[in-house]
Amino acid sequence: MGESKSDVLQGTLDLMVLKTLESMGPLHGYGIARRIEQVSNNGLSLNQGTIYPALLRLEQRGWVKAEWGTSETGRRAKFYSLSRIGRKQIEEETENWERIAATMARFLTPSD
Amino acid sequence: MDRIRTLLSRCAALFGRHKLDDDLDEELHSHIDFAVEENIKRGMTGEQARTAALREFGGVAQVRESYRTQRGLPFLEVLAQDMRYASRQLRNSPGFTLTAILTLALGIGANTAIFTLIHGILLRSLPVADPSRLYRVGDKDDCCYYNTFQNDDGDFDLYAYDFYLQLKQSTPEFEQLTAVQAGGGGFSVRYGTAAARPMRSEYIAGNYFATLGVSAYRGRLLNDSDDMPAASSALVLSYQSWQTDFAGDPAVVGSTVYVQMHPFTVAGVAPPGFFGDRVIANPPDFWMPLAAEPLIEGANSSLNQVDEDWLYLLGRVRPGVSPGTLQARLSLALQQWLRTRPAYTDHGGAALIARQHVVLAPAGGGIQRLQQQTRAGLRLLLILSAAVLLIACANIASLLVARYTARRSDVAVRIALGAARSRLIRQILTESVLLSLIGGAAGLAVAYAGSHMMLALAFPHAKNMPVEASPSLEVLGFACLVSLLTGVVFGSAPAWLSSQAQPADALRGVNRSTGDRSSVPQRGLVILQLALSVVLLAGAFLMTKSLANLEHQDFGLATANRYVLQFDPKGVGYTLDRLPALYHEIEDRFSALPGVANVSLARYIPLGGNQWGSCVIPQGRPAPGPKDDCFAVWDRASTRFLDSIGVPILRGRNFTPEDTAASQPVVIVNQAFARHFFPNQDPVGKHFGVGLPQYSRTFEIAGVFADFKMTDPRRDVRPLFFRPLAQQFTGYKELDADGSEKASMYVNFVILNFIQAPPDADTLARKTLATIDPNLSVVRFSSYDSEVAGNFNQDRLIARLASLFGALALGLAAVGLYGVMSYLVARRTAEIGIRMSLGATRHSVVMMVLGGAFWQIAIGLVLGVPIALLAGHSMASLLYGVSGYDPFALVAAISVLGLCAATAGLIPARRAASIDPVQALRTE
Repeated sequence: MGESKSDVLQGTLDLMVLKTLESMGPLHGYGIARRIEQVSNNGLSLNQGTIYPALLRLEQRGWVKAEWGTSETGRRAKFYSLSRIGRKQIEEETENWERIAATMARFLTPSD
Repeated sequence: MDRIRTLLSRCAALFGRHKLDDDLDEELHSHIDFAVEENIKRGMTGEQARTAALREFGGVAQVRESYRTQRGLPFLEVLAQDMRYASRQLRNSPGFTLTAILTLALGIGANTAIFTLIHGILLRSLPVADPSRLYRVGDKDDCCYYNTFQNDDGDFDLYAYDFYLQLKQSTPEFEQLTAVQAGGGGFSVRYGTAAARPMRSEYIAGNYFATLGVSAYRGRLLNDSDDMPAASSALVLSYQSWQTDFAGDPAVVGSTVYVQMHPFTVAGVAPPGFFGDRVIANPPDFWMPLAAEPLIEGANSSLNQVDEDWLYLLGRVRPGVSPGTLQARLSLALQQWLRTRPAYTDHGGAALIARQHVVLAPAGGGIQRLQQQTRAGLRLLLILSAAVLLIACANIASLLVARYTARRSDVAVRIALGAARSRLIRQILTESVLLSLIGGAAGLAVAYAGSHMMLALAFPHAKNMPVEASPSLEVLGFACLVSLLTGVVFGSAPAWLSSQAQPADALRGVNRSTGDRSSVPQRGLVILQLALSVVLLAGAFLMTKSLANLEHQDFGLATANRYVLQFDPKGVGYTLDRLPALYHEIEDRFSALPGVANVSLARYIPLGGNQWGSCVIPQGRPAPGPKDDCFAVWDRASTRFLDSIGVPILRGRNFTPEDTAASQPVVIVNQAFARHFFPNQDPVGKHFGVGLPQYSRTFEIAGVFADFKMTDPRRDVRPLFFRPLAQQFTGYKELDADGSEKASMYVNFVILNFIQAPPDADTLARKTLATIDPNLSVVRFSSYDSEVAGNFNQDRLIARLASLFGALALGLAAVGLYGVMSYLVARRTAEIGIRMSLGATRHSVVMMVLGGAFWQIAIGLVLGVPIALLAGHSMASLLYGVSGYDPFALVAAISVLGLCAATAGLIPARRAASIDPVQALRTE
């Protein structure tokens, strides 16, 4: 019944969050979670709550900053944005991920 | 980098955790609200929207928990939680907590106090540059002047100035080699118009401070140019003396002070904390160059006597030099030097030279004299105090076990509900460590008071002693470590028990029992306490008996109602020709005081700690060889000396006023002298001399007095003779012999023998001396009893502490046994009730309970006695007149412990017998 969903690979969530913040600018936790769901076309089995430990991890590393603010609908929420270090880190993490993906692809594509 | 940032952020999160929790809650709330809002927009009802939002979120509680674990440092947070729980537990039972803390404070405090002394005396390094490269040539504690072979095994540790100069020239292995006087002495020092004050000093070689690597606090220190025969005299003050004796006056540096009436320039002040080359109770107040020694000592100087061994040698070894090779070279140099000295080669001495050697000993901790004297005692005290702490541990452990058992159903329920055993164990250990840390903190106060008292008892005449009672960093570390260890040790018993707890017990009403096995650990702990108590008590009895033997032995002299006044006529400039008049006046004035029976004068007093000896050669005998024991202690004393200390003449006569400078030189000798030098002969009328055969008819023995202890109260009486005040022998041809004969004319002590000692003896004596000559100051005034007691300061300290530790051990063990027995009786109330309702008599109940106590006592004694015997054997070197296996001590220890333990067991036994069966059966 329905389409099958993939589990989120260890470490990929961090990069998803970073990329989301890069493209969307400052965003609250719910917004980030929804955006990830949308981009993945609901193809990930992601408990929205798991976003928070990931955000904390990024905040502890100094890659993202958090600030209380008010949403468009007037609701108080904590807004996350990329820090200078975080911006630099995206490049590195992206390269990293692409290398892994390329390696995986070589395994998966039958060679001649 | 990321890790460090993460760690810092985690640390920061330890603070304000409540605010961070609120923050998280608010964030999660707003998340759900956003989701609900959006779901409603999509057309769900409020209820549906909420359910869907929560489902999409996942478990809120799990997210919160994993978020919090990641945010802070969970280990520390759990620790803090355990701490809070533990302190709540402790607060809830103030009686137990207070008892435990008090016990621990005494146990840890005693150990820390003794460690303070061990650290201050045995483990300390000299406060000098790179102490690890300092070595002493010699390792014994011989002192202060020798002119013959020093130890039977050929070990040398005192050296002549001549040998020092040679060694300094010929041993490039030493960066610097310096010499310091072995003994050190008291001098009268005058500055400005103030009266002369007694101060202590050591003669040192010019390179002494350079060798140690010490620089001046003010002015400059002594150097080689000060240590030249022609140099103008200079001295260096210790910082402590500069502060206390000269009020820290900067003007002292560069000005002139008078030492024994000789002018010296104060070159400078040594740095604070520098106390010389060894830890002693009275470190030097100032240092003088060796070159000044002939100036002060006159013809009696040791510096110019080639064979006089009176210096310790201390050197800084070059890096890379092997101490073993250097030691062999030094021994060789010593033998070569000895072969050139007739004093050592004559009369068969040459054969012994091959055996003479030196030992090169590390001297980073200074010259180890006090250390050698106190090491055995301090080690014993540390062992005793450790045993006390172990008993305290066992005691608290059994209290904790009892508490734990009372909480057993609680623990079982917690395990049944899923609490991890490791967490329970951690909680119990946290509680015990917290307890022991508080005990340790309180113990620091006990330690400070304790080490203060111990120092005062062991070194009552200390001035500027470089050992302090206040805890140093190392002592604090020691106390902390011991506390932690203690906590883990006594906490491990209840922790182990809790790891055995069965959740099913909770359902089975574990609080009711018969003679079950659950009390095994407690019984074991009580047995341990009893066994250790036997050891401590036996040790206490041994030391106390030994002290009593020392103090109450028959010294052979009377000290009650006698006072000793020490003064220094030489230091204030009395010349030989003025002495007879001074002595007469002192005798007359003091004799005229009310209630005085006898007044006498002596150069050294019996059991006063100092002595002077010579090699005795009876008339008509050959010169003694190196193996012949010709040594006799001698002293100069006034006519009424024997009367003043209550010693009878046994043969011949005492001194009389007719023994003058013009009459035949006479001596009186003790029985040991007569036995040793004139066996089976009547010594009266015989002649002898000292030093060389040509003087062997100098003195005529006028009488023999009864033996009394003159020097070491632990040793048998040795040959001793007295010479009268008035007779100076003027026939010595050698300058040094003549010099020391002249020096012997100066007496230093007045003995006042009262019929009934007046309360103001001290002021009376000082006033009287001042009326004779205001320049003469009293160096020391004390009762003869306290003077004698001063010989046993260390023994007394050890005996008192051993008794204190023994009493503590006894008390703790008795309380421990009592606790366990009453606890068992309380737990067996129902069982005893049943027994009694079935017809058991009160007597049989008492016997049943006492029987349990009896077995513990018996096993404790059986285990303790062999350990006590072993301990007694190891402390034999500290005992006097009592063997390490003394049956009295053992029997006394066993009886006292048995009695106390039986009493401690009887009280709960009687309580058991008074149980009302009906009541007992109703108890739950």
